[in-house]
Amino acid sequence: MSKGARLVKPASYTALILLLFSIPLFVKGAYPLHVLIMVGINIILTSSLRTIATTGQISLAHAGFMAIGAYASALLMMKLGLPFWATFLIGGIAAALIALLVGYPFVRVRRVYFAMLTLFMGTVIRLTIMEWRDLTGGTSGLLGIPPPNLIVIPGLLNIAFDSKVPYYYFILVLVLISLLFLYRIDSSRVGRTLLAIQQGDFVAESVGINVTNFKVFAWCVGCFFAGIAGSFYAHYIRVLTPDSFGVMQAIYIVVYMVVGGRRRFSGAILGASIFTLIPEVFRGLKEYQPFVFVGLLFIVIFFLPEGLVSLPEKVRARIRKRRGISLGQS
Amino acid sequence: MTLALLAQSILNGLAAGWVYVLLAVGLTLVFGIMNIVQFAHGEIYMLGAYCSYFLIKLYGFSFWEALPLSALLVGLLGIVLERFFFRPFRGRFEPSIIVAVGLMVLLQTTAVVGFGTSTKSMPGIIPGVLSVSGITLSWDRLLAILVGIVLVTALFLLIQKTKIGQAMVAVSQDTDAASLQGIDVNRISAVAMVVGCALAAIAGSLMGSIFSTSPFMGTSAITKGIAVIILGGLGSIPGAVAGGLILGLIDGVVPPLLSSTMASIVGFGVIIIVLLLRPRGLFGHE
Amino acid sequence: MANLEIRGLTKHFGGLAAVNNLDMNVNQGEIVGLIGPNGAGKTTVFNLITGSIRPTKGQIMFEQSDITGQPTHSIADKGIVRTFQLTAFLQDMTVLQNVLVSCHLHPKAGVWEAIFNTPGYKKKEQRAFGQVMGILHFLGLHPVKDELAQNLPHGHQRLLGIAMALSANPKLLLLDEPLAGMNAAEVRESLTFINKIRSAGITVLLVEHNMRAVMELCDRIVVINFGCKIAEGLPDEIKRNKDVIEAYLGAGEHVTC
Repeated sequence: MSKGARLVKPASYTALILLLFSIPLFVKGAYPLHVLIMVGINIILTSSLRTIATTGQISLAHAGFMAIGAYASALLMMKLGLPFWATFLIGGIAAALIALLVGYPFVRVRRVYFAMLTLFMGTVIRLTIMEWRDLTGGTSGLLGIPPPNLIVIPGLLNIAFDSKVPYYYFILVLVLISLLFLYRIDSSRVGRTLLAIQQGDFVAESVGINVTNFKVFAWCVGCFFAGIAGSFYAHYIRVLTPDSFGVMQAIYIVVYMVVGGRRRFSGAILGASIFTLIPEVFRGLKEYQPFVFVGLLFIVIFFLPEGLVSLPEKVRARIRKRRGISLGQS
Repeated sequence: MTLALLAQSILNGLAAGWVYVLLAVGLTLVFGIMNIVQFAHGEIYMLGAYCSYFLIKLYGFSFWEALPLSALLVGLLGIVLERFFFRPFRGRFEPSIIVAVGLMVLLQTTAVVGFGTSTKSMPGIIPGVLSVSGITLSWDRLLAILVGIVLVTALFLLIQKTKIGQAMVAVSQDTDAASLQGIDVNRISAVAMVVGCALAAIAGSLMGSIFSTSPFMGTSAITKGIAVIILGGLGSIPGAVAGGLILGLIDGVVPPLLSSTMASIVGFGVIIIVLLLRPRGLFGHE
Repeated sequence: MANLEIRGLTKHFGGLAAVNNLDMNVNQGEIVGLIGPNGAGKTTVFNLITGSIRPTKGQIMFEQSDITGQPTHSIADKGIVRTFQLTAFLQDMTVLQNVLVSCHLHPKAGVWEAIFNTPGYKKKEQRAFGQVMGILHFLGLHPVKDELAQNLPHGHQRLLGIAMALSANPKLLLLDEPLAGMNAAEVRESLTFINKIRSAGITVLLVEHNMRAVMELCDRIVVINFGCKIAEGLPDEIKRNKDVIEAYLGAGEHVTC
């Protein structure tokens, strides 16, 4: 590859990042920024779910772990007065630790069982939140969660989280860091190993891969980021109810991942973006919205099994085929 | 807790239990034969309830006429679902889950859009109560239990005594061997879906009449159904019966004592304990 | 020194003894054949050695340390690697990726150094890549290195299985029916490979049904039937052994040992 060609990719990524950073300069409304922030949260959720899914395990507990991060971070700040920067990380760590607790028994079972056990787990988490009313406010919710603390660098910065803009930048940075981390996992030897485990775990074992440990690792990393997303969400929305973290939400994240395309890393990003934007674009449809959602899902499942992200290559392959045929004919 | 309250709670528990059994038997049957977790099964249950509701409300059927009719109609839906949604993805784990999940959202949304989000109450099975030495037992619960016992027994006999039943057993044990023996696996899958959907429809109708009908009743149903089959053992009908009754009794007896969320937690606790001792569930094999 | 010692190895499935009180050794540098009629328990022996299943009784020692009942990946770490009877590889990954995954232990790399792409990790990846290329060239798989494993013709798939096993740097290589379904030319080629593998210092224990190949290739042969060892010795001795001949003609009697 020529030197110029090799620069195209990093150049376009840099351009994209610069664009993303400059968005608040020309997008002024609170609502569009809110949508972008939600896209960011969903990207973290979907990409981290994908990491777990690389080993072939579909988790239906992701919303539950988001809840753990959310409530942990909110409560630590409200009850113990810890600063956001601590509670935010602790939220993620709490999620990871609980994931670790159930990790070893969970990953050893067949994939069908794993899906069902995680479905369970998500429900148990939600029920615990509902039942522990004194702590979490139960079904009426946890209200008045404080925003992140001021960022003060004397003489330089004084940022208060009093408008959408600081939140936007925060989630942007968070998404970039998270995606970088998850991408490194995916594209390194670790990702190869996880994929190998999905394709043939007994083969993987026989060449010395500790399948159980790797599965638990992917599981805990995935749940960590769900927790982190939850922590941010708590201090952004500032109200938490257990209903936001139910079975349907967990299922939606899986759908985002599958429709976007599980195979490629960008698939999760695409899926999360599209599905966060759909309700906004199709706002007018109100209760008919899920039909668009399901429609896309079935189109992908029946015609594009590798997800929307595979569309460009499928189209290219079609074109090549057509060209090949016409060349043959001449 | 007074004796009367205890008796009623147990009755409630058994009624709920048999409804869970009817729901879970279909789910476990479909799992055993088609090897998928039919996540939309809860929505089938919900559709069964609405089907009965409309048959009664709009067409003037009695509950006892609506029940089998609803089972039939929903059973026919099962044929469509198997043919067009599940057959193309047979044997493939992930697409099967996604399709089922997609159906779940599709059916639920259709219900929300078509029927509205408010809960409806269905004209009761049989009003009134049976009084036994000062304890009042509602007839509708008693009849739900009866229906449950009759249907599950009928299913059991169907499986043991008929050729189709035996074919179903063969397919659930080894699909490839069964097809080598000349069994049409697609047909058997369709039968399983029909039976499963019909039972779910009946379960939904019963639950809908004892309590209420809402487009969202399917979500809690599928979670309950999965809980029952995990407890009882995937693919096992006796397991579905045992699991359903155990969880039903918990749901009947614990809420008056503690709370309904505690009932769910106790239920999950029981499941986790059982899984620790018998990882395949109470009656699970493989 | 690859030195596999099996003492009193027994495995019951339900009431049936799939492997019954087996004693055998494999010495450094040997090519040992494990043969017996169908259902004799040969693959079970492999599964017991590699830790896929735990023995009911008995002991397996490798290089003087007890490996009985250890998990498969630990046993691979100690240097025992196996191939599988049916085509067992990573379907949706390329030949190159398959073999690359298989050198997981050599060189070992931690998850964190991989994630943070340390210079040390980069060097390890390069080394791994070099090793993989070497193995691919050795087995003639280099031309198809970017093919998806599932698209390979049967013969290549077998070679891939061996490539993956070699990539894991075995001291003792267990080959499970490496010649199944091969024609005479392919068998010739494979025998050459297996001999080359032995020359490279790897000890080989193989299960195989192709009798002529086994007689030609192996230094020693162990014969089992119904889970019991019924004969052991040099190929010539085994060829003439009465019990062995009877077993293969299917006398059908259950032998207790």
